[in-house]
Amino acid sequence: MKAAAVLALVVLIGASVFAQVPYRRIASADTDPSSWLTYSGNYQAHRYSALTQIDRQNVTQLKPAWVYQMRNSGIVEATPIVADGVMYITEPPSTVTALDVRTGRPLWTYTPNIPPDVIIIGSPPVNRGVAVLDDLVYLATVHTHLIALDRRSGAVRWDTVVEDNKQGYYMTLAPMAIDGKIIIGISGAETGIRGFIDAYDAKTGKRAWRTYTVPGAGEPGSETWGGDSWKNGGGSTWVPGAFDPALNLIYWGTGNPGPDWNGDVRPGDNLYTCSLLALDANTGKIKWHFQFTPHDVHDWDATEIPVLFDATINGRARKLVAMANRNAFYYVLDRENGQFISATPYVKQTWADGMDEKGRPKVRPGTEPSFEGTLVFPDITGGANWYSPSYSPKTKLFYHTAREVGTTYYKGEADYKPGTAFTAGGGRRMDGDVAFASVKAWEATTGKMAWDFKLLTPPMAGLLSTAGNLVFGGTEEGNFFALDAENGKPLWDFQLGAALRANPMSFALDGKQYVAIAAGSALFVFGL
Amino acid sequence: MFVSILAIGLTLAQNPADIQQGKPLFEGLCADCHGFEGTGGRGPNLNRPLTRAQDDDALRAIISDGLPDRGMPRVRRTTPNELRQLVAYVRSLGRAASSVRGGDAQKGSAVYQRSGCASCHVVQGLGGTTGPELTSIGSQRGPDYLRQALIDPGAVLPHGTLAVPARNLDEFLPVRVVTRDGREVRGARINEDTFTIQLRDSNGQLHSFRKADLGQIEKEFGKSLMPSFKDRLSASEVDDLTAWLSSLGGAK
Repeated sequence: MKAAAVLALVVLIGASVFAQVPYRRIASADTDPSSWLTYSGNYQAHRYSALTQIDRQNVTQLKPAWVYQMRNSGIVEATPIVADGVMYITEPPSTVTALDVRTGRPLWTYTPNIPPDVIIIGSPPVNRGVAVLDDLVYLATVHTHLIALDRRSGAVRWDTVVEDNKQGYYMTLAPMAIDGKIIIGISGAETGIRGFIDAYDAKTGKRAWRTYTVPGAGEPGSETWGGDSWKNGGGSTWVPGAFDPALNLIYWGTGNPGPDWNGDVRPGDNLYTCSLLALDANTGKIKWHFQFTPHDVHDWDATEIPVLFDATINGRARKLVAMANRNAFYYVLDRENGQFISATPYVKQTWADGMDEKGRPKVRPGTEPSFEGTLVFPDITGGANWYSPSYSPKTKLFYHTAREVGTTYYKGEADYKPGTAFTAGGGRRMDGDVAFASVKAWEATTGKMAWDFKLLTPPMAGLLSTAGNLVFGGTEEGNFFALDAENGKPLWDFQLGAALRANPMSFALDGKQYVAIAAGSALFVFGL
Repeated sequence: MFVSILAIGLTLAQNPADIQQGKPLFEGLCADCHGFEGTGGRGPNLNRPLTRAQDDDALRAIISDGLPDRGMPRVRRTTPNELRQLVAYVRSLGRAASSVRGGDAQKGSAVYQRSGCASCHVVQGLGGTTGPELTSIGSQRGPDYLRQALIDPGAVLPHGTLAVPARNLDEFLPVRVVTRDGREVRGARINEDTFTIQLRDSNGQLHSFRKADLGQIEKEFGKSLMPSFKDRLSASEVDDLTAWLSSLGGAK
């Protein structure tokens, strides 16, 4: 009787609450694995599915359920959001399309008016997906608008200009929706912007707070910038972060200082570029920061996904945040205070002789870019990049597509003109048969290697781990594949016909599990 | 009309300081493929009329954006100042001594015919397809590279010249595989991904494998299916053949 009443209550709550996506539903995403409610699957950014239907035995039977061909050409980096029978995807550069999860048929699509002279310097014109909260779908555009759409029709509820695209500001990331607020970051460090992280009122689009990633004159950290160099200091925030509801802290990575490859014009550590920031979700105030690469001159943005998990270290329960950083080291920090715990190289690197006790790299002399070129590992796109790693609470392993590449780095002339490239150099990446990658699995707490699976060339594709003990990933040559999460053994692969430059995700419909990923200009959904 | 006169005017009026500053930029960014002083190598010899860059705007565009479908990357972004210096330096080339060491192209053509080259290479529609087409090889490669390709072909396997395989993988890479049931195949790699590989053997036969079905995959880096002509040709024949290959500029 009592059990029946509880069940009835659950069904009732389900019926009323599941008609929309309230904050508390996203916060408890782990209990609702049929949906995929936020970019990384949960606020802890695990990119892990608790669904078990597809497993090591039956994964060989995976087949396409449906394919959606994008309206626009261009690289598709989006992670779909799935809620209540609808999938929300973005198409390049800034189109949102809602699809019927059952059939793949479009329900509505929305494309903002992007001016033909939009400035996009530093990346292709991509988008990584939407956020959902209550009845709205949130889009961050390349012309620097944050737009809220009605989830039923795609009608615009509000449209807020975040910054001036003419100065080189643009957006490619999926926003992050938390309680009543939409959090976004910005791209544009290659044009010498001053980076920031913003929060907007989810209902009205009014800005709640802005936290610059480069301190202004006189502010703490401004002493790490010579002269006026902070004004074009970069520090983009172009990949979504993570959120700890209990600590009420947002974790967000920051990108390279400007200009990228000639540090002479910006002497100092250049805070808070190439850092992880922990921000108070109510105020945006920086609670702590940790800088991975002080005075970066290799374009090693720290805009990788920060992954939150708890573990016991030396007999003490710790709340941790981990990042497989673009600079080739895997970092574990205390997420309450930013204290450095460990850094472990996960790919070949030639720039640092380890870390001091506070996690500051001991930089090898002669590794900075030069006019004639300096070969350094990792490469200009790093051992990691924007694509996502995965953390399995089941295996306690951290999974990552680790890029094994070097670059000959060039220093160039620093010449700032608003809205134009402010990069001062660049690099020639190793490629061909000497450049490769491996899907690697290591103990999340210690960084100790568990296994690796070699890929022919280094892709820009993320990973999904599942409770079915699988890791899904993709290759530049079009392979969508599944590995055994415990030992890396390849179990299944399927040729999608174009490069996978996206992250996989999983959801369920009518009791059936699916996995989805984009390749080329199409989205593929697979099921048993 | 006015525009083209202006372009010619700009081409002729190079500033000596720009040329001087463009030289180290060129040596850092371009010489790896085009050779020091632009005498060519893996990339074309620049000491000749540049048919793809007849005016400076075209040359600027090539340096800024690369020619990705021709295997030329954009090495890095350049400022307008750096670009002007690079253009000035490239336009100043043309005086460097050619590295074609006195070979006779006409004799080289005969060497090509009698040495069996055409059994594996196409020139102007004629020949075999085991190796790369050579119809316009003289506009793609410098003479030093071509000479080395005759003497030690495995050292200079092409990459980035074909759309397949992509990602600048070595083209015509010899690969030897042994299937789990003991069958051995050797051929040039046509394509590959993490899970499969496609080879073409010397009879032109295509072989496609899933790697999981293979007991052994040996990629023979540094080798070529083409024999070395070091001991088959005299030094002067190599010079003549190099001169002839260098003269192949494709359909006019």
